[in-house]
Amino acid sequence: MSAATIEPGSFRDPHSRVVEADGAVLRLLSSQGLRDWDALSASELFRRAVAEGKLVGTEVEPDGLASLPDALVDGAAAVLRHEVVPFVSYPYEWTFAMLKDAALLQLELLRGALDENLILKDSSPYNVQWRGAEPVFIDVGSFEALREGEPWVGYRQFCMLFLYPLLLQAYKGIPFQPWLRGRLDGIEPQACRDLMSFRDLFRSGVLSHVVLHARLERSQADSDRDVKRELGKAGFKKELIVANVNRLERLVRKLEWRPGASEWSDYGPRGHYTDADSGAKDEFVRRAAAERDWELVWDLGCNDGRFSRIVAEHARTVVAMDADAAVVDRLYRSLREDGQTSILPLFVDLVDPSPALGWRGAERRTLSDRGSPELTLCLALIHHVAISGNVPVRDFLEWLRSLETKLVIEFPTTDDPLVKRLLARKQEGTHPDYERGYFERCLGELFDVGSSEELSSGTRVLYVAQPKV
Amino acid sequence: MQALLAYLDPGSGSMLLQLLLGGAAAVGIGFKMTWRRMLRFLRLDKKQSDPEAPAA
Repeated sequence: MSAATIEPGSFRDPHSRVVEADGAVLRLLSSQGLRDWDALSASELFRRAVAEGKLVGTEVEPDGLASLPDALVDGAAAVLRHEVVPFVSYPYEWTFAMLKDAALLQLELLRGALDENLILKDSSPYNVQWRGAEPVFIDVGSFEALREGEPWVGYRQFCMLFLYPLLLQAYKGIPFQPWLRGRLDGIEPQACRDLMSFRDLFRSGVLSHVVLHARLERSQADSDRDVKRELGKAGFKKELIVANVNRLERLVRKLEWRPGASEWSDYGPRGHYTDADSGAKDEFVRRAAAERDWELVWDLGCNDGRFSRIVAEHARTVVAMDADAAVVDRLYRSLREDGQTSILPLFVDLVDPSPALGWRGAERRTLSDRGSPELTLCLALIHHVAISGNVPVRDFLEWLRSLETKLVIEFPTTDDPLVKRLLARKQEGTHPDYERGYFERCLGELFDVGSSEELSSGTRVLYVAQPKV
Repeated sequence: MQALLAYLDPGSGSMLLQLLLGGAAAVGIGFKMTWRRMLRFLRLDKKQSDPEAPAA
């Protein structure tokens, strides 16, 4: 095997490190990690969770140690091979319903593990990825044998990365994504406490998991007490963890987010199209997508996912992105209902996309570092990026060109009612580059434009383009 | 005993909270823990001389 590298985000657990080698995802286990894997792989939980798609498919790679460079496998006792997740995403790109489903999956697996005297050593949403709109737990190395008398080590992390973000959004309407993007470890108990009002103290879970949590943490901050040892000696037992997990599951299940009218949701999914335009646009996209089968498609500004669904007929994975969390949340729930497993909806603002984060800026990668699309839809988006986001038209097209992707792009002209509305908010003359002639010139310089079609309303034009070599 | 330590700090406050959240099932454990702390405080704990016990 050539080109094997340690996944930069997997250094925290010394017993289990992820290696990428020639597109394969491998896991190096220490001897302790191997013992934990043996216990997990022999369990009924493992068989069931993999069969149900809740746990990533994993098997032992028999020649793994011999095939990897010596320096990489130093100290490793075994190598596992994982099923590859189509596109890696992070919790700050998920919506409320996605984080909630990921939390419920985490709790379900934890309870299943406890039934078989196993436990999850951490509670990080970064251990959950997606097959389309189905969450899948990927960190097989998180499972370990339950140690008698020890409390749930991952409880605090569960609060910081799952529960508090969900509470903030459900109870306060505060979007959790900027908090998770701002700090990879999540929201501290005291920070969450400080965000809660008197009224919030009476809401489910706040007094116990937030207020008391913050208070106890404060009181123990400078203490040398070995609480884990004390609890063990006093007979702390598994039943207490199970009771806490069940209580958290009931709490999380009850949490709901009801978004207010967002920029998108308040004029309906397709209110700005005539039926004729809408049908012609569907057909244009369908023709472009049907040219071949695609491994990875990006639908930028996906809105209700109408075109993602059209393209998904010819694609293994469609990443559907939109800057409106309410719209993406609705799309996620509808994809879940349909059992769609090839469209991954993500909350992404292209003007402020996910940066590289964490240790050495390498733990969490930028969007384009996680896979290049072969086909990109950019429908009804450029006016938002160029006018609302102030990104120069040419700059935006150059970025699209850098993706090395076939492009289906729509240009709403300055006569389009929505474009007029966006321009009216700006000082006259602020966007001289937002003009059809200039757009077409730039597009033609960067791409070979295959076909184009003006929709019957006359204010929207569609183009199919290939990057110029 | 490296292998028995978690890579994640569980947080002392978070561990105590798990006991408090345990309700009725945790009462006995909480009582036992408090009792042991009291004995230690009063220096009546037989295991004070136990070399494995923490110094505090």
